[in-house]
Amino acid sequence: MEDIQEILEDFLVEAFELIEQLDQNLVELESNPDDLELLNSIFRVAHTIKGSSSFLNFNILTQLTHHMEDVLNKARHGDLKLTPEVMDVVLESIDLMKTLLHAIRDNGDDTSIGLDITDICRRLDVISNGEDVAEVIHQSAEETTAPVAADENADYSKLSDQEVEEEIERLLKMRKEEDRKRKEGHAKESAAPAPVAPTPSAAPSFAGLGDHDESEEAPVEKTTAKRNGGESNNAPAKKESASTMEQTIRVEVKRLDHLMNLIGELVLGKNRLLKIYDDVEERYEGEKFLEELNQVVSSISLVTTDLQIAVMKTRMLPIAKVFNKFPRMVRDLSRELGKQIELEISGEETELDKSIVEEIGDPLVHIIRNSCDHGIEDAASRRAKGKPEMGLIQLKAYNEGNHIVIEITDDGKGLDADLLRSKAIEKGMISEREADAMSDKEAFSLIFRPSLSTAKVVTNVSGRGVGMDVVKTNIEKLNGIIDVDSELGRGTVIKLKIPLTLAIIQALLVGAQEEYYAIPLASVLETVRIPLDEIYTIEGKNVLRLRDEVLSLVRLSDIFGVKQVYEGGEHTYVVVIGLAESKLGVVVDTLVGQEEIVIKSLGDYLQGIEGIAGATIRGDGRVTLIVDVAALMNLAKGITVDIRATAETTVKTKSVPSDYVVLAVDDSAMDRNIMKKSMEPIGVTVIEASNGQEALNMLKSAEYSIDAVLIDIEMPRMDGYTLAGEIRKYSKYKNLPLIAVTSRTSKSDRLRGVESGMSEYITKPYSPEYLESVVRKNIKL
Amino acid sequence: MNDKLNQILQKQQKQIEEPQKKEDDVVQLVGFIIGQEEYAVPILSIQEIIKPIEYTRVPSVPNYILGVFNLRGSVIPLIDLRSKFKMDPSKVTEETRYIVMKGKDNTAGFVIDRLTEAIRIKSSRIGPPPETIHAEKGLVYGIGMRDENILTILKVEALLKRDF
Repeated sequence: MEDIQEILEDFLVEAFELIEQLDQNLVELESNPDDLELLNSIFRVAHTIKGSSSFLNFNILTQLTHHMEDVLNKARHGDLKLTPEVMDVVLESIDLMKTLLHAIRDNGDDTSIGLDITDICRRLDVISNGEDVAEVIHQSAEETTAPVAADENADYSKLSDQEVEEEIERLLKMRKEEDRKRKEGHAKESAAPAPVAPTPSAAPSFAGLGDHDESEEAPVEKTTAKRNGGESNNAPAKKESASTMEQTIRVEVKRLDHLMNLIGELVLGKNRLLKIYDDVEERYEGEKFLEELNQVVSSISLVTTDLQIAVMKTRMLPIAKVFNKFPRMVRDLSRELGKQIELEISGEETELDKSIVEEIGDPLVHIIRNSCDHGIEDAASRRAKGKPEMGLIQLKAYNEGNHIVIEITDDGKGLDADLLRSKAIEKGMISEREADAMSDKEAFSLIFRPSLSTAKVVTNVSGRGVGMDVVKTNIEKLNGIIDVDSELGRGTVIKLKIPLTLAIIQALLVGAQEEYYAIPLASVLETVRIPLDEIYTIEGKNVLRLRDEVLSLVRLSDIFGVKQVYEGGEHTYVVVIGLAESKLGVVVDTLVGQEEIVIKSLGDYLQGIEGIAGATIRGDGRVTLIVDVAALMNLAKGITVDIRATAETTVKTKSVPSDYVVLAVDDSAMDRNIMKKSMEPIGVTVIEASNGQEALNMLKSAEYSIDAVLIDIEMPRMDGYTLAGEIRKYSKYKNLPLIAVTSRTSKSDRLRGVESGMSEYITKPYSPEYLESVVRKNIKL
Repeated sequence: MNDKLNQILQKQQKQIEEPQKKEDDVVQLVGFIIGQEEYAVPILSIQEIIKPIEYTRVPSVPNYILGVFNLRGSVIPLIDLRSKFKMDPSKVTEETRYIVMKGKDNTAGFVIDRLTEAIRIKSSRIGPPPETIHAEKGLVYGIGMRDENILTILKVEALLKRDF
């Protein structure tokens, strides 16, 4: 029993791989009917599946594939010409075969779904007997028993029902008779060579490393012949397939996921190590061990990066996996719509993470359907416009940095920006004013709004206004960007830009006041530094004129309710983020830089917080939250804070001298008293700390708003230089006056003071008046 | 000689059987102070107890969620029990600790003012929660009576349940 189960699993894995390639080959065959090599490989697929299914007692499947085999065999020997009508029937029978295989996978047998195959078998027989196929197809289309609606031409309705019925009756009887005889003969034949186990060598399995869903059910590790997925559909020369065979191994996706998680941890460790190295380098400059440490750190970081790439690569699948189904789809659509459409695919060898490959299929289906239905015109109107009758859709994939770009180009009628505008106004999506302000490009992006369709008629292909909305949501889920460009009458180009992988991403780290956030770099278009007075307010919204575009602005600290602790300067940074087709300027206080981050979930307890996609652990061990760009754009809509006005009002105004606070840091109580006395005439509030650590804690706690610090250099626990360095690490204390008060007078000491970030240097002993004047000068009193 | 041996064996047998009975009755808890009161949670629900470390604020959550912190590579939420129980906030002191508790599907850290001790208490001495407690409603498993004071025993699963 176990054995059978195992064989069954093997059979299914193999069968699904085979039929995936089959579709591709068949469509190619239609345009290239004399390619014997192609025909042979298709025949072998049908034959292999037939053999295996009869061994496993799937009678319906066996019967179906047997009939297909007959037709293909005739075609192979040149007894039969493969016309589009014949192909329709063959393709339909392959669809049925797929349905049966799915049923076997789900239910364990091919009978429970009750698929009726007698009709299709009969049509296959008709073909293999070399009769006029078109006629028979018309007749059978009349019969509604066919589980899949047959393709039909317009003229069959001219036959009278009576005639058709009679003809069918007659043919049926004859076929059945013949069929039975032949089958008996065949049964004897095929019984002779004993049960044939599905051997992988019978036909090379085509789909390379491809683990698709089905194979997860068969965690059997076995080697299988692999062919490079890329070259499969353009080269008629299939002979080199033997030489390009590679050894492969099937691995459960779960194991790869686990491996990926471990790599994630390693990357975090690496980041941490780099950070520590930087700190150590600063502290022990010029020491000999630094050299060694440097070597180790760099080699570990190099190996980690390589390892990460290697593991990522194991999860990569050629995009051909998705692209393969499109030739068939376009073929069917073009027949259904009565248009002539050619699909040109390039770059199908481009590789993508498995999880992304799974997500990208649906959006592409919608885009291509749209191009076929709305983009490409029918032959007559194309001719009238002086275009070739055959419409062309190009599907192109290529790498661009850490992204893959998928381009769908059609040479159809293009998008009409004005029509889109008026439709959107009609549906109440935008106001007329908004429509007027819209650039053509912005108008194109209206096609992604739900329930907007420019189609005059809803066909069963498209026009309901759902598809493109799906495209947008799915691409956003992958952190991708959509770009639409179109020229009326000339065609449309839709570009999808998608990150290569999801677990480890490049991010831009930004600071909002004292907090840091990571923005996926895939969504960052550019960063600019602007003076505050370039921000304008229109209807309560902040906008910025960036080159020839008007960009709405929102402050990151307003979205996330970050506590306002200090004012920015006259300039501010704007990170322009783009997702799918919309753009937004995010005002941040600091730009930290680009970093490779590992996405971690916040866990069940904090799941689904709006605006946060996850968290990552930085080199210093701190947690940094990752911005969910799509949600951020939504949140931004609800925020109406006048950025310029709030930036101009100070956090807290200080009017009298006693509002000012000076922190005196010295380990000697007497020295602190002298400082205090010296400052009495100014009238400022003086607070004290006895060492660097204590002072730092006071600054960190934000209990006081400190205006200046007097620092002694020699102190226990943390000396004055270190303290100054630590203070300067806080962006809000970048301009805080730090006044060194020390008996160290040498030039090198002074230099060190400047390096560590001291703003003034007073040597002991000093006159009280001198200290007073220095403090006054620094706090501007 | 044989009698003696039998006696010893019997005694051992008894000892093996009895502690089990005893342990059924005794609940092991870890006690801690928040504000003025002593609370406790079952010792087995505690993953670890750590000194305060830096945490990152998370936006748009109730104020008793302080943020998230990094516990050896895992990102874990930090919950302030003081503000959850509607007490006045206090400063972090030398004795402040984070108790990391682990439930069925969640792990979270809780800020407490001070640890007291590991406590063994007979389950017969644990009474039902009084009805007057509002802020801690649903979070209290029972009240433990001890010789010198009383303990509020908290329900870990309820603490770890997201309630916003």
